[in-house]
Amino acid sequence: MITKTELTAATLAAAFALLAVPVSAQEMGGPKTGKEKCYGVALKGQNDCAAGAGTSCAGTSKVDYDSSIWKYVPTGTCETMKTPNGMGSLKPGKS
Amino acid sequence: MAMQKCQSDFARAVRSPDWAVPHGVTSHNSDAPRERFAVYRNNVMVGLVSALEARFPATRKIVGKDFFKGAAKLFAAMQPPRSPLMMFYGDEFPSFLADFEPAREVPYLPGVARLEAARTRAYHAVDAKPLTPAALSGSLADALAGMRFILHPSVEIVASDYPVVTIWAMNSGENDLAPVTDWRGEDALVSRPRFDVEVRRLPPGGKTFLQNLAAKSPLGEAAAAALAGNPSFDLAANLAALFAGLAIEMTNQPNEAPLP
Amino acid sequence: MRVSQLPLSAGASFKPEHFAAISAAPQPLGFFEVHAENYMGGGGPPHAQLGFLREHYALSLHGVGLNIGSTEPLDRAHLARLKELCDRYQPECFSEHLAWSSHGGIFFNDLLPLPYTEANLTSVIDHVDEVQSTLGRRLLLENPATYVCFQQSTIPETEFLAAIARATGCGLLLDVNNVFVAARNHATSASAYLEAFPLDLVGEIHLAGHFETIDGEGSPLCIDAHGTPVVEDVFALFDSVIASTGPFPTLIEWDNDVPDWPVLRAEALAAQERLDRVRLVRAAPAAA
Repeated sequence: MITKTELTAATLAAAFALLAVPVSAQEMGGPKTGKEKCYGVALKGQNDCAAGAGTSCAGTSKVDYDSSIWKYVPTGTCETMKTPNGMGSLKPGKS
Repeated sequence: MAMQKCQSDFARAVRSPDWAVPHGVTSHNSDAPRERFAVYRNNVMVGLVSALEARFPATRKIVGKDFFKGAAKLFAAMQPPRSPLMMFYGDEFPSFLADFEPAREVPYLPGVARLEAARTRAYHAVDAKPLTPAALSGSLADALAGMRFILHPSVEIVASDYPVVTIWAMNSGENDLAPVTDWRGEDALVSRPRFDVEVRRLPPGGKTFLQNLAAKSPLGEAAAAALAGNPSFDLAANLAALFAGLAIEMTNQPNEAPLP
Repeated sequence: MRVSQLPLSAGASFKPEHFAAISAAPQPLGFFEVHAENYMGGGGPPHAQLGFLREHYALSLHGVGLNIGSTEPLDRAHLARLKELCDRYQPECFSEHLAWSSHGGIFFNDLLPLPYTEANLTSVIDHVDEVQSTLGRRLLLENPATYVCFQQSTIPETEFLAAIARATGCGLLLDVNNVFVAARNHATSASAYLEAFPLDLVGEIHLAGHFETIDGEGSPLCIDAHGTPVVEDVFALFDSVIASTGPFPTLIEWDNDVPDWPVLRAEALAAQERLDRVRLVRAAPAAA
């Protein structure tokens, strides 16, 4: 009879032995990783001191939200990635 | 006091599109320059929405830019930034999406947004030298079982009932867009060993294993807990994922001599 | 004594997307400027890139979130972050804006205007004093681009800035595009503003692009968008300033629709040419 800890300790040796072999990201099922040239992929800085692109006096910053008149539906790649239940049916207003 | 009131009035009016131009705000050609005041209103909103667009590109791709902009505006109005560090604005956006009724038909959306938020935090996390398997190769199995680890500062686990790693990868250019066939949940390991943020799919039991390691359980106990919670837990696969993501910072085992 | 330690030459805003191009070869520019808040994370590529710039060029830190024009107390935690950044990178220059950006615990992510009154003058002076004593260095304060005025204002902007500088010993950052934009927006004269500006206190000049539209009354309205090249009228104002003062450290800012590095670099080199020209003219013996 072996305890869980003993089992784990035994497995550990095997697990670390496997690590001697280089592990590829693909084997892990993870997405491929980028190259580290130029100190990584550059994310743009989020703080600046200019008027944002598209700022003017003409637009409106109106953001009224009433769930019964919300006018947008998701129309991006979610159309390709439908869940087994489909896109579901969205009833107006809170259910 | 007059100047405090003047600034509070301005602040509130900037965030309230229907309000009149605050008293005292003028221009050379108007006593209440509505369009000019709207430049400030627009600029505040445009700035916040762009910050969210930049931080959640895959989320945006999934729902489309109009839906995203509508949701982002609403979030910005309800939960404006509390700190001048815009790189972290939107930490609460995934929770907002989870409660956002119009997004309910895309149930995996909050999970993808959580993954994207974790990626930005990892990008800006404190630097630390990751541990390599070689550093442990001389240790005996018994010693390994008793070792405690510190997770790298960039590490986050994003657990989901949906295949968020697959979906994120398809919407971030990592993989091609295609219908998802396997709808089982995926847990993501987000880490930044050096400069590049990496996203990995955790093997079964990986979440429990990592959470136990993070809570400073010895390696053996963490593995046992993961195995108890998930019979298909594979220690070798999990260690491989950890080291491939170099998600471990250093050993923390006060009773042992420093490793070679 | 010089108002800032930046070289008297042209520099450019640093944008992370340009890092590969900038680090590939030495750039013929005097300095780079970054927005301080973008480097307040713990680590990662932003700090690695800033470390590279620090090593190879003079560096200017430009704050956009210190809220100096606020009627509320300064955010001590933010000021502490700024001090840490200054201590770590030892920039040749640190600058901020005559504006406010937080109120009631909310950050607006925009540079908002304030009335120029005695009460606001006192609070801005207190804030600048606090910043300078905390950082242990001189601050340059920048003139804002504004779209509205305040009935309550009693002090002209140039006098307001001069009074702050006199009381605190801070320097000024003259944004020539902001001068142009504000003058156009308020139907005033940009050259009259520059004549009234205390140029001896200037430690750096900013140049940037803007776009022009019309307001609700049909009058011109300029938006400080930093998304296009510097217009010739702004360069002309710049020429008139440096003709009387000599060269200043001069930055080209570009924040929206950021072009490829060679375009931004060429814009900075155009400013450099103007600085060189004025240096030559001033060095030449006076013509009879």
